Amino acid sequence: MRVEYINPFVEASFYVLKEVLGTELRRGKLCMREAAKPRLGVTSRVGLSGDVSGWVLIDMSRETALAVASAMNEEKLPDFDELAQATIGELTNMITANAVTRLHAAGFNFDLTPPFLFYGAYKGGKRISINDEALIIPIEMPMGTVEINVAVREKE
Amino acid sequence: MNAESAAGVKKNGTPLQVLVIDDSMFIIKQLSQILTSSGFAIAGSASDGEEGLQKYKELYPRVDLVTLDITMPKMDGVATLEKIMEFDDKANVIMVTALGRQDLVKKALLTGARNYIVKPLDRRKVLERVEMVVRAMRNCI
Repeated sequence: MRVEYINPFVEASFYVLKEVLGTELRRGKLCMREAAKPRLGVTSRVGLSGDVSGWVLIDMSRETALAVASAMNEEKLPDFDELAQATIGELTNMITANAVTRLHAAGFNFDLTPPFLFYGAYKGGKRISINDEALIIPIEMPMGTVEINVAVREKE
Repeated sequence: MNAESAAGVKKNGTPLQVLVIDDSMFIIKQLSQILTSSGFAIAGSASDGEEGLQKYKELYPRVDLVTLDITMPKMDGVATLEKIMEFDDKANVIMVTALGRQDLVKKALLTGARNYIVKPLDRRKVLERVEMVVRAMRNCI
């Protein structure tokens, strides 16, 4: 994956999470994995197209997802219901779109698809693993850790 | 809220009616809260462009303002805007976007959208943009 793609996703993740949660964040160590694989329980995915093909997965535990959704809705949500799911989907959309805006400004042409959320029955991530090398951006928040997986491949 | 001065209230004291079209229940809820806090009423909501167009036609002419997401399944925001403008070339539509594709925002503005709102939604900024459109609507009457 090209180095120029990395910073826009890191900056977008920080900007959007800080904006919607209004809390302090800390970036964990960036790392590369062989595949973008959901590990934590709740995963939202947005597809990328244009100059590249790829995916962004936002992965967190169910407890973290519920706490994040509650904070974004400014009310304590009792369960990971339809509203909580929509909230996490929208969070993924906002982070990815913000990154794509930054990439456009740098001269790259990316487009994105609406978010899709996976959880529960997809435990283990078998159904949505993406076998492309992925950049992992861990972000630590008071409500838990969120891992942003960015798997981008240039079109041949 | 002072209903006399609230942006969403007409001179006769009745609220301006808004149709909210967005595939995210979260954004529908957030926009509805922001708008009703400023005196607007939510005439209806839709979760994709096709449903949104249908609702606009059903509610016409009782809709004063539409908020329209750009990235949606089935029919995206720009295609929906084109259809709404074909049906009612005086429609007051505000696009909602997390950006990503600024060219789509430009296209929407050229197609007839009155303004746009950027996500994540900030209450003050949303009301600023909406009030700009409402002021322009009032000046046109």
